[in-house]
Amino acid sequence: MRRLSNQIGHSWLPSRERRLRLLVAYACLGVGIAGCGGGDKPKEAAKDSPATAAPAGPVKIGFINSLTGPEAPIGENLTNGAQLALEDLKARGIAVELIKQDDVGKPQVAMSAMEQLTTGDQVSAILGPYTSANSNAVAKLAQQYKVPQLIPVASKDEITRQGYDWVFRLNAVATQYAHSLIDAALSFGQPKSIAFIYESADFGTSVSAAGKLYAKEKGLAVVADETYQKGAPDYRSTLNKIKGAAPDLVFMVSYVADAILIMRQAREVGLQPQAFLGGGAGFETAQFESERDISNLVFSVTQWTPGMDWPGATDFAQRYQTKFGKKPTYHAACSYASLVLLGETAAKVGGDRKKLRDALAEGSWQGIMGDVKFESYDGYTQQNRHEMAVIQYQNGSSVVVFPPSKAKAKAVYPFPGWK
Amino acid sequence: MSSAVRTRVPLPGVGASSLRSWAAALLVLVCALLFSLPFWVTKPYLLHMGVLLFLAVIQGQAWNILGGYAGQHSLGHAAYFGLGAYTTVMLFERAQISPFTGIWLGVLLASLVSWGVGAITFRLRGPYFVLASISVAEIIRLLALHFKDFTRGAEGFLLSALPAFQLGPLEIELFSKRPFYFAALLVALWTTLVSWLVQRSKIGYYLQAVREDQDAAHSIGINLQAYKCLALVISAGFTAWAGGFYALFVKFIDPETVFGIDVSVQILLTCIVGGIGTLAGPALGALLLVPLSEFLRNPKGLVQLGLLSSDSSLVRLVEERLSHAHSFVYGLLLVVIILFSPEGLWGLVKRWFAPARGEG
Amino acid sequence: MQMFFQAVLSGLLMGGVYSLIGIGLTIIFGVMQVINFAHGDLVMVGMYVTWLLFSYFHLDPFLSIVLTAPLLFVLGAVIQRVTIQRVLGAASENQILLTIGIGLLLSNTAMLLFTSDYQLLTTSYSSSSFSVFGMSVSQPLVVAFAITGVVAAGLYAFLMKTDTGQAIRATAQDREAAQLMGINVSRMSVLAFGIGAALAGTAGALIAPTYYIFPQVGHAFTLKSFVIVVLGGMGSVVGATLGGILIGIVESLAALYLASGLKECVVFGLFLLLLLFRPSGLLGRART
Repeated sequence: MRRLSNQIGHSWLPSRERRLRLLVAYACLGVGIAGCGGGDKPKEAAKDSPATAAPAGPVKIGFINSLTGPEAPIGENLTNGAQLALEDLKARGIAVELIKQDDVGKPQVAMSAMEQLTTGDQVSAILGPYTSANSNAVAKLAQQYKVPQLIPVASKDEITRQGYDWVFRLNAVATQYAHSLIDAALSFGQPKSIAFIYESADFGTSVSAAGKLYAKEKGLAVVADETYQKGAPDYRSTLNKIKGAAPDLVFMVSYVADAILIMRQAREVGLQPQAFLGGGAGFETAQFESERDISNLVFSVTQWTPGMDWPGATDFAQRYQTKFGKKPTYHAACSYASLVLLGETAAKVGGDRKKLRDALAEGSWQGIMGDVKFESYDGYTQQNRHEMAVIQYQNGSSVVVFPPSKAKAKAVYPFPGWK
Repeated sequence: MSSAVRTRVPLPGVGASSLRSWAAALLVLVCALLFSLPFWVTKPYLLHMGVLLFLAVIQGQAWNILGGYAGQHSLGHAAYFGLGAYTTVMLFERAQISPFTGIWLGVLLASLVSWGVGAITFRLRGPYFVLASISVAEIIRLLALHFKDFTRGAEGFLLSALPAFQLGPLEIELFSKRPFYFAALLVALWTTLVSWLVQRSKIGYYLQAVREDQDAAHSIGINLQAYKCLALVISAGFTAWAGGFYALFVKFIDPETVFGIDVSVQILLTCIVGGIGTLAGPALGALLLVPLSEFLRNPKGLVQLGLLSSDSSLVRLVEERLSHAHSFVYGLLLVVIILFSPEGLWGLVKRWFAPARGEG
Repeated sequence: MQMFFQAVLSGLLMGGVYSLIGIGLTIIFGVMQVINFAHGDLVMVGMYVTWLLFSYFHLDPFLSIVLTAPLLFVLGAVIQRVTIQRVLGAASENQILLTIGIGLLLSNTAMLLFTSDYQLLTTSYSSSSFSVFGMSVSQPLVVAFAITGVVAAGLYAFLMKTDTGQAIRATAQDREAAQLMGINVSRMSVLAFGIGAALAGTAGALIAPTYYIFPQVGHAFTLKSFVIVVLGGMGSVVGATLGGILIGIVESLAALYLASGLKECVVFGLFLLLLLFRPSGLLGRART
């Protein structure tokens, strides 16, 4: 083309100007197509108003979860629990369409997932997300877009202390985690001091903040307060520092990979308190349990265990084990119970968001998580008063050791030391 | 243009007058379309993408002034982006200062900080400067993570409801994406204008001299430190505005999201892919990268726009296999562009026009 | 005082691994004058390869180095030959951008293949430790340190005593003169990148038992290895060795006495100071 141009001069090939004109034409055409695709109603740009129209057919529920990312191993439990719930609902003739979105463990991704689900897919309600940080972010949007949200397992207190009447939470809150753990430790022995090590985002910070407050109330001396960043797997210096403070109790709040590494490195540096207190999450997973060298005699607070005497709990555990090849964690149970009650209630009101919200606020349910009722008390709104238990890993499996009414075994306290 | 000007190294974008009038017409047409878009398009997703696009253009044009014209490839612009974001948010959440004022304070702070950074790091050349710029951004990020009482550390800030924007007698509520769209578009155009002015001015020539050969420029009396700092300050200012705007638009920030090295790499990528050192480069780069990455992240968005049917196999393929592939595609583009067309897309466009250079 | 020595010891052991990564980078820089931004991602590849060999073939991570290192060598050689070779003459900025792009490709391929879930390697000795003068020492890290020592010594011998090694050093010293002396400098470049990659992969294999593995794990190593290389002097193997150990100790002490959140800040601050006041490092030759 170049050669021809130079030889012939003003050739029949498009000159620069003609090419430019063509470009302008194509641009107009392209934008026109996009515009036709984009515009439908000649009305105002969509305001964030609630769509309360009830869709025909199955009820649509949006499920935001950490499908990939560092939280994924636990997120998987939530997915599995939800799947069992869908099966059960189907068996009862309730048709639910679960639309899943991955939040990659990041709040801003959870927020865009939320927007997609509410304005794009027009779901009737949102289940999830998993982490406290993401749940808080989505709760804000749920309130803004007026879509009912049921939080299955995120613990940060603040989420249900903001007066959001579109947000409901099934599980017990961070303060409860701290109270249960510390009360348990105080019932087994007479510790005098406590050290905290926790992940630096919402979950870790909220549970340990509650822990520090309660510890002081109970007269325990807080001798160390260490945070760590996600993705920074060398805790040796921090654990060393904690060891130097010689605490009676070590209170840890972590997700899966950190929980395992912290315990490994605690063993390495020879940290030996009277008890290791794990704040749920990473400390309450099958993976942690299987690392017998390091999980032995660690305590963890939990929302649910298979041995609980709630209706259908054992049965659920067996089915989960059969279907997925491992024991369900409390995350799975929470997710199952949440979706069952959400699906049921949504179907009853025909998928209408406002009616669903009202039904959730007024209803009560019994299931594998015990009695569920969303109440407002002590500054919490629409919070289910869920009881927690404390388990200890003994001989490779977890047993409930607190509260005494639910205990199935005696706690081994103090920690006899690393072998 | 006189022939005396012609004998100098031609600045990109300068051409024959008829070409220029057509290019100007194209520009006016595009602007008109962009401004009128929200009135005849109602899907909020398109506006959302538009905002992201304009944001990328702002960041790209800003970086280009330092990286393209002056040749100082900073990989630490996330520092200024984050400073803008955090200043705006912290002033709003903690001191109840209106975010519309806060954002400008963020710009001011970032400019001051950048001046300091420039004073320290500009004595380093080439790759050493790049490494230093990364270090500065990382230090700021780590400090933001560490001083939790001040910045809320890794928890970040979730914004409370934004007040309405007062424009004279008009009160603009910020529920929908439209006001964000217009604000971003205006600033994108403004940044492009500033870039164009810098390019054509004496400053632009000096920066170019610095880029081509620092020592020679110094030997003819150009104050290297002053001009490089000037470029950095302008660049940092616009980047900080983009950061503050991002915070108000997305409503959640944490140190990783706004100070992370990914931000710096993305800005760099926009300019490299589009064409470094050119006016159209950042715009072209943004035009390619933003829709691409949005599509990979959220293929259903295009379904919403009506461009694809919801059960098309392409959507399913992306959803199942490529949903986090946008970074991969970035890497691929970067490698391909550097190897085969270091002048980026604009370079390709120019080559398409080049045969007719002998004319007019 | 006990804690001080414990911190120094832990830092020393970690530093050994850092050294290995730094040596790889310094060889690449020495021979090609290219700052390899993908270096940390090569470490990541080494970690994933180790994890795969362990998960599917139950191969012990330390033993699997025999497979991992050659694999990474080939990967490095291919990368060099296909991409970096082409930009050796171009502006250094372009080279940096190219290696950034390669790094992105590596980490994102890992993400597409393995998702960004954190993977853990659990061996029988993953949490073992023994006691030395009342200080606890991580068993896997001691083995890693020992292996690093052996590899570094072997590398040094290779560079000093063998013909190929000396050819590489000659290319690093003066590329044109080496070419005039009949050395195939492009082949040396490929070798250098391959060796650098192999070292990075070996380092990955060594720390795999004690870290968690995810696609972005390399980034922290990339930045740290730059600090090490500048500290030790670009192009100096001995310098990188010492630099790595020094950085390991500094980091460990910073975590103990300041706060774990600030330890990397200290390293970067040190880096800036180095760049400004002593860019040739401890043992390097001054380069313009």
